[in-house]
Amino acid sequence: MNAVRRRARRCLAWLRRLVAGAYLRWRRSIQVRVVTSTLCISAIVVAILGAFLTQQMSNALMDSKIKAARLQLDEGLSTVARQLGNQPDNGSRLDNVMAGLKARSGPSGLYEVYIRDTRDSSFDGYSTNELRVESIPQRLRDELRRAPADATAYTFGKLSYVGRPSERGLIVGGKAGQFELYYLFPLTQDQHTLTVVSQALVGVGAVLVLLLAAIASLVTRQVVIPVRLAAQGAQRLAEGKLEERMRVRGEDDLARLARSFNEMAANLQDKIVELEELSQVQRQFVSDVSHELRTPLTTIRIAADMLYEHRDTFDDPMVGRSAELLQSQLERFESLLADLLEISRHDAGAATLDAESLDMRDLVLRAVGDIQNLAEHKGSKVLLQLPGEPCMAEVDRRRVERIMRNLLVNAVEHGEGEDIVVSVAADRDAVAVAVRDHGVGLRPGEGQMVFDRFWRADPARARTTGGTGLGLSISREDAQLHGGWLQAWGEPGSGSQFRLSLPRTAGAELRGSPLPLVPPGAGGRPLYAELEAGE
Amino acid sequence: MRCTRGVVAAVLLAVALTGCASVPSGGRVVTGRPAEPAEQVDDPYVRLIPVSPRPEWSPTQLVAGFLAASASFDDGHKVAREYLTGAASSWNPGPRPPVAVFADRPRLEIVAQTATQATVKASGSRLGSIGADGQYTADPKAAEVTFDVVKTAQGPWRIAGLPGDPNNGLILTKSDVDRAFRTVNLYFFAPDGGTLVPNGIFLPLVNRQNLPGQLVRALLAGPTSWLGPAVDSAFPRGTRLRGLRIEDDTAVVDLSVEARSGDVDRMSAQLSWTLRQLSEITRWKLEIAGDTATPHRYGSVQPVRAWDGNAPDGPAVPDQPAYVLGSSGRLSRLAGDQPQPVLPQAAQVVRPAVSGDYKEVAGLSPAGDRVLLRDLAGNSGFRTVLKRHGAGTRFTAPSFDRSGALWTVETGKERSWLWVRPRGGPAFRVSDWGLSGREVVAFRLARDGVRAAVIVKADGRAQLRLGRIVRDQGSSGLEAGAFLAVSSELVDAIDLAWRDYGTLAVLGRKGNDTRVLPYLIPVGGGAISSLGVGALGVPKTIAAAPGAPVLIGTKDEGPGQVCRQRAPHDLISEWICPVPGSDPMYPR
Repeated sequence: MNAVRRRARRCLAWLRRLVAGAYLRWRRSIQVRVVTSTLCISAIVVAILGAFLTQQMSNALMDSKIKAARLQLDEGLSTVARQLGNQPDNGSRLDNVMAGLKARSGPSGLYEVYIRDTRDSSFDGYSTNELRVESIPQRLRDELRRAPADATAYTFGKLSYVGRPSERGLIVGGKAGQFELYYLFPLTQDQHTLTVVSQALVGVGAVLVLLLAAIASLVTRQVVIPVRLAAQGAQRLAEGKLEERMRVRGEDDLARLARSFNEMAANLQDKIVELEELSQVQRQFVSDVSHELRTPLTTIRIAADMLYEHRDTFDDPMVGRSAELLQSQLERFESLLADLLEISRHDAGAATLDAESLDMRDLVLRAVGDIQNLAEHKGSKVLLQLPGEPCMAEVDRRRVERIMRNLLVNAVEHGEGEDIVVSVAADRDAVAVAVRDHGVGLRPGEGQMVFDRFWRADPARARTTGGTGLGLSISREDAQLHGGWLQAWGEPGSGSQFRLSLPRTAGAELRGSPLPLVPPGAGGRPLYAELEAGE
Repeated sequence: MRCTRGVVAAVLLAVALTGCASVPSGGRVVTGRPAEPAEQVDDPYVRLIPVSPRPEWSPTQLVAGFLAASASFDDGHKVAREYLTGAASSWNPGPRPPVAVFADRPRLEIVAQTATQATVKASGSRLGSIGADGQYTADPKAAEVTFDVVKTAQGPWRIAGLPGDPNNGLILTKSDVDRAFRTVNLYFFAPDGGTLVPNGIFLPLVNRQNLPGQLVRALLAGPTSWLGPAVDSAFPRGTRLRGLRIEDDTAVVDLSVEARSGDVDRMSAQLSWTLRQLSEITRWKLEIAGDTATPHRYGSVQPVRAWDGNAPDGPAVPDQPAYVLGSSGRLSRLAGDQPQPVLPQAAQVVRPAVSGDYKEVAGLSPAGDRVLLRDLAGNSGFRTVLKRHGAGTRFTAPSFDRSGALWTVETGKERSWLWVRPRGGPAFRVSDWGLSGREVVAFRLARDGVRAAVIVKADGRAQLRLGRIVRDQGSSGLEAGAFLAVSSELVDAIDLAWRDYGTLAVLGRKGNDTRVLPYLIPVGGGAISSLGVGALGVPKTIAAAPGAPVLIGTKDEGPGQVCRQRAPHDLISEWICPVPGSDPMYPR
């Protein structure tokens, strides 16, 4: 019982899979759809056509049969009239006529005959061979009785026999004086003809439908294959393989499609190359400008230094003040120029990783030590959460230190004097450093924008202190150079957290970070931006 | 380019298809063979449709309706039984009833009638009767029968008393019999043990599908009273037909268990020869109580044309040579149309006969008062083997049987004796001779040795009759009798010969004709057919053999001529007389 149920269930599941698979193929493939609909429509058309043809043939067969039958009946009636009309009735004259009429009847013949003398009540006439008189339907007899003297009538019915199965037949009847004469034609042969023809029609129809399906399959294949190739080409193009082109064959619509596709791809490639070249030129320009500015800047710097050293010697205190101003802005200019050079190096792909195995805790401690003064100046306290064991990773010391310094300076600057928490964590593959401040935080969407070049949280705020506006951009480039992530989280009023995650071995792929981006205990709706390297 | 080719192909295809859809208007000539000669039983037949009695019918109408309805064998005379009531209800003719054959519908008259009872007399001329065994016996006489008719409680008249004469039998007209009966042959063994003898019977054709079963049942029932004493049946007494079914064209004959004690070969021979009259059966299989019985000579499925060795005509002899008396009176053998003398000197005999083994030749003296015999080879010359015994008598043409015995009839006015001379022995007179009081014109023994056809003068006419020879113990206990008329159509027959076991070739006059012509007459009693067309001179003698042309010796003014048909197997082929000579004969 269970086995049966299991088998039924398995069968059902298999059926469902089959249907689902078929449906999927139907959804996915134009060819399957076209072939299926061709099959259905042509099957319907062929069926209708076949039915019509068979009907026509049956009608034609029956028409000729009826015509022949009526001729036969007319001949028989005239024989009856001739032979019975002028013979004395001695009881056997009907017998003699019947003997003449029966000649072509019987199993090997064409028809059966039934004749009846309406005035002789002692018997009901004669029939040939095994024919039963019930074969003549009452409706035909009635019709003939009502009809005028020389009328004939016909109908279709079932011929029944003594000792053998009945068969369909055509029954014609007529009157000659007092005699009724019926000819009964079995339609077995015609039925056989029709069966043979309809069998042939079914066969031909099936072949025709299959042929149409095959043609449809072939035609759609011719259309679908170039479309599939185009789809593949477009996909490759989308993947950035701009050299991808379709093969152009012939001059038909599909060739035109391929040609347009190729033109589109070529134009795209041209435009992209052009844009790339343009940005290359711009980067080069920035780099060149930075370089070119250095030399005059050095000179200006020397001059400014001199002026600054002798600021007390100027009579006018205003001049002294100007020298101080010049000095500070020059420093800013220098660091801006250095940052510009750095970022243009990144843009040009000229930045290289100088990796060595280091303990991240040392790096963090040094960076915190560097900004300790600034933090104290701002009134912030830097808290460290460092793990007990070393967090070794292959990193570029200079770049990581720069990232740390950037993050810490930002935290101090935007920390509003609150505590700054620096956490370090490591797992098997990665190390992470998170810098948390409790300042103004970030508004929604700003988590991403902080890494944009020259982005400012408050445009109205004067750029007086610290950053050049490129620090975080460079830091993100540095993190990405390691194959790591630099991500920001922030919430207005709750402060923000920046997390640096780096793989332990340089260039390895980073799958996750040992530290959460959203600090634990950060209440409310966490609003964060997650930026992954290479995204 | 490709497109153009496609269009051309499509147009060609369309043209070809329209060509296919019409009937051919020409083409080669197709030849075919004519269909197998249809057996007589395959002819279309006519059935009478009976009516149930109507309530308003008078007693005479009722009896007329009953007589008509009894001619319909459908459903075991179901309709005819509706006419009966009371004691007559037990009337059941069955599938093979005895029949009184009337020439016409009997005249009906009421001889006595009360309110509830009537007696209807039916009178007419009776031609003869068919026994329950199917044997027809001609017995022309006026006959009358009476029917007792009563008014039933429901109102209409019904027949309460049937005439006692055809006890469970039928009263039919000749046309009823012609319509409802078929003449078929049953085959039984001649006393020599190997030759089959046909026994023609009348069998009601109840319906064509049942005919094979009916035929086998009739065969199992045994020979008719006429042939019975002369033949043997291989079927043990009590053998019944359990069933006969036809699968494709193979009939399976299933006999009851009694047949186990019978000889399978002999039963198979009888059944094969009987069943070959039906065209739908070409092979058959014998089963006894459901087990297949296999004869020794054939497989279990026997062709219906098997058992040729038991043929009634004896083994087939291809190209049987004919003998004639040449123009010089010498016995000659016909090679083509040329007589080749076989005896050195002119024979002093007429009506010669050559034995089947070509050893002896017999003949009559020119006066017909002596029978002469000599060896065909050697120079011994003719010797007299039989002299006439009565005064003014003469012998009919002698003939040999298969054993070499010589048969002839010595006949005078209203008397005759049958003489037999076994080979090497003295001639003796057959003691039991059924035509001893009549003049016999010709006597010919059939090739089966059991039946004999004679032309006998009766009532001033030369009648064709068929009798049978019963051989009891040894050769002395012979009985030749029970001569029944074969055909009444022919008058003044002068000579006859057995064409084959079922057909006689007879010279005679038909009806009102003035000339004597050759006719073929089926011995079973069917329509006779005239043979050939054209001038024949005055035919005197006729000779026939199975598969050989019929030869007629004619004599007009001048020397005699032997005539044959131009195409011997064509019934209506023209007669030509290319052979000078007389008294043609085939050896037997």
